Amino acid sequence: MTLKEAIITSDILLKVRGLKKHFRLTGRIFKKAAVIRAVDGVSFDIHRGETLGLVGESGCGKTTTGLTILRFYPPTAGSVYFEGKDIFQTTKREMRKLRQEMQMIFQDPFLSLNPRMTVYDIIGDAFDIHGLARGAEKDRRIISLMKKVELIPHHMYRYPHEFSGGQRQRIGIARALALKPKFVIADEPVSSLDISVRAQMLNLLQDLQEEFELTTLYISHDLSTVKHICDRVCVMYLGRIIESADVKELFNNPLHPYTKALILAIPIPNPKLKRKRIVLKGSPPTPIDPPPGCRFHPRCPYTPKPICKKEEPELIDVGTSTKHLVACHFISSNLRQNPTRHLEE
Amino acid sequence: MTEEGEKLLSIKDLKTHFFTERGVVKAVDGINLEIGKGKILGLVGESGSGKTVTALSIVRLVSYPGKILNGYILFQNENLLEKNEREMRHIRGNRISMIFQDPMSCLNPVFTVGDQVAEAIRLHQDIPRSEIEQSVVNIFEKVGIPDAKKRLKEHPHKFSGGMRQRVMIAMALSCHPDLLIADEPTTNLDVTIQLQILNLMRKIKRDFKTSILLITHDLGVIAEMADHVAVMYAGKIMEYSDVVEVFSNPLHPYTKALLESVPRLDVETRRLRVIPGTVPELLNPPDGCRFSPRCAYTREVCRKEVPPLIEIKRGHSVACLRMNDIDTERGDNNV
Repeated sequence: MTLKEAIITSDILLKVRGLKKHFRLTGRIFKKAAVIRAVDGVSFDIHRGETLGLVGESGCGKTTTGLTILRFYPPTAGSVYFEGKDIFQTTKREMRKLRQEMQMIFQDPFLSLNPRMTVYDIIGDAFDIHGLARGAEKDRRIISLMKKVELIPHHMYRYPHEFSGGQRQRIGIARALALKPKFVIADEPVSSLDISVRAQMLNLLQDLQEEFELTTLYISHDLSTVKHICDRVCVMYLGRIIESADVKELFNNPLHPYTKALILAIPIPNPKLKRKRIVLKGSPPTPIDPPPGCRFHPRCPYTPKPICKKEEPELIDVGTSTKHLVACHFISSNLRQNPTRHLEE
Repeated sequence: MTEEGEKLLSIKDLKTHFFTERGVVKAVDGINLEIGKGKILGLVGESGSGKTVTALSIVRLVSYPGKILNGYILFQNENLLEKNEREMRHIRGNRISMIFQDPMSCLNPVFTVGDQVAEAIRLHQDIPRSEIEQSVVNIFEKVGIPDAKKRLKEHPHKFSGGMRQRVMIAMALSCHPDLLIADEPTTNLDVTIQLQILNLMRKIKRDFKTSILLITHDLGVIAEMADHVAVMYAGKIMEYSDVVEVFSNPLHPYTKALLESVPRLDVETRRLRVIPGTVPELLNPPDGCRFSPRCAYTREVCRKEVPPLIEIKRGHSVACLRMNDIDTERGDNNV
């Protein structure tokens, strides 16, 4: 993919190509330094105004993907185009400008807010850093942001510990929205919240997305929430995207055996429902030494063919009406069969 | 199924309060619960609702400044609250076992997992030293730890989250308890691993006829696992019934709202129902019905009177003063 092409497709806000992030562990004497392949060649597009879900189990690299896109980590390889501009090639100064348009909402509202700063400073910091508003104008903007996230404005001189978890997450959201970003990465924004508060937060996120015309990368392990809030979903396994489709298509017609198992594993609050389940054996291997070939083959419910152990399947569009990418030898080479291993009622 | 009505554990009017410097926290404030033999009781509630304190009260592990003030806990026709510490120690781990949310903080990092499970067996069972290792291997195989002989010589840090939880379950099961208390056993685990652990718990219930008190905030897990459900809110039981009834015919406004506030895979929802506000602090719980400040149907009476848990029909109890008015009122709102 050349830079030129990236500019032409103006409908795409963020384009990620071949993104890799490896972490080197310090080696021991006589031992080669191990490399954690946290993100190992990830490509996707996010269209303007879209909410893209990035799902997977812990350790699959979804958070690292988000952090690398925002350059919190230096990338190992690959490129990210934001409005056609390769953000890995920008200078520090340009990046600072770009950061105004790309913000992040973190998972843990207890760790992501500075305990020694008041809400006023936490939200207002961005205005100071970028020199956007001062004095009365800054106050006005902070008050309006606090109202938007349903916080009481006269609490603005309070410290984070005086708020509940849900309220803290609102502060985090207000901070992310302070600069009117075009693009927000939300990393498990509701998973640390209680059920009743979670619903409030999801509704708030939806409202704000509409109001601010946000494009969102929603990172989560919770498929029920992802189905509720996202337009399109990418499923990650061990540093790679293994399936990606429209939210409806993905949940109605999951193709990759891992996605199928993942969806079936989610408990549904309906005791009358009885489902056939695929119980995956074992747990995901470490990204230090991913299995050769298809990374999922040791746990795959289909009996792996020789090709699965040798060749890494590519992400191929197999969709009929909409785009539906899947990386599985069984699907792409029409080896379709019924799952044979690990079945359980 | 087991004989209807045979109870393994019944809790009556249990009150556990914490006497802190800032005041009395009424964590558990007069609850009644029953668990049938070989059944799973699901205890659902948000954080701070008193689920864990209920569990700790059963095994009498409420620590200072907490105190069990009132009530009785009848376990196999013995009141656990009248036992002395020695008798309690014999019951814990032997007849009642507990597994927790975070297995890493419950396992000792300096001993091998085999040693830790062996300790439980040694303390509670009268079997020769030479046979202990074999029984550890057996129990490891039962809970699905592959390569058990080798793995019992390893330390906890070499185990993944799911495997650690299996070790905890192995330890809990080593003495064939009659009651297993599982406090958020799968909350920290990935869904595919959660499914493995839930299946294991189902197997335990089937094979050993163990009763399980399953504490969780995940309504999906409850729906799949539990036979009966108790919904807890701010130290009180709000609703109790069998699992199908609670999910298909919830009567308490809190239960209803809770069920509608979770995004679900099986139902299309555009907008989630929201319960306004947050869970109350139990230092100063609201007067009257504790849910009244957040309830959509609150009237004056709700703020004054504490609703008792009343059995409305067979096996379905609800604590709400306005329960009979709600359905009609809701109908009005929908028009």
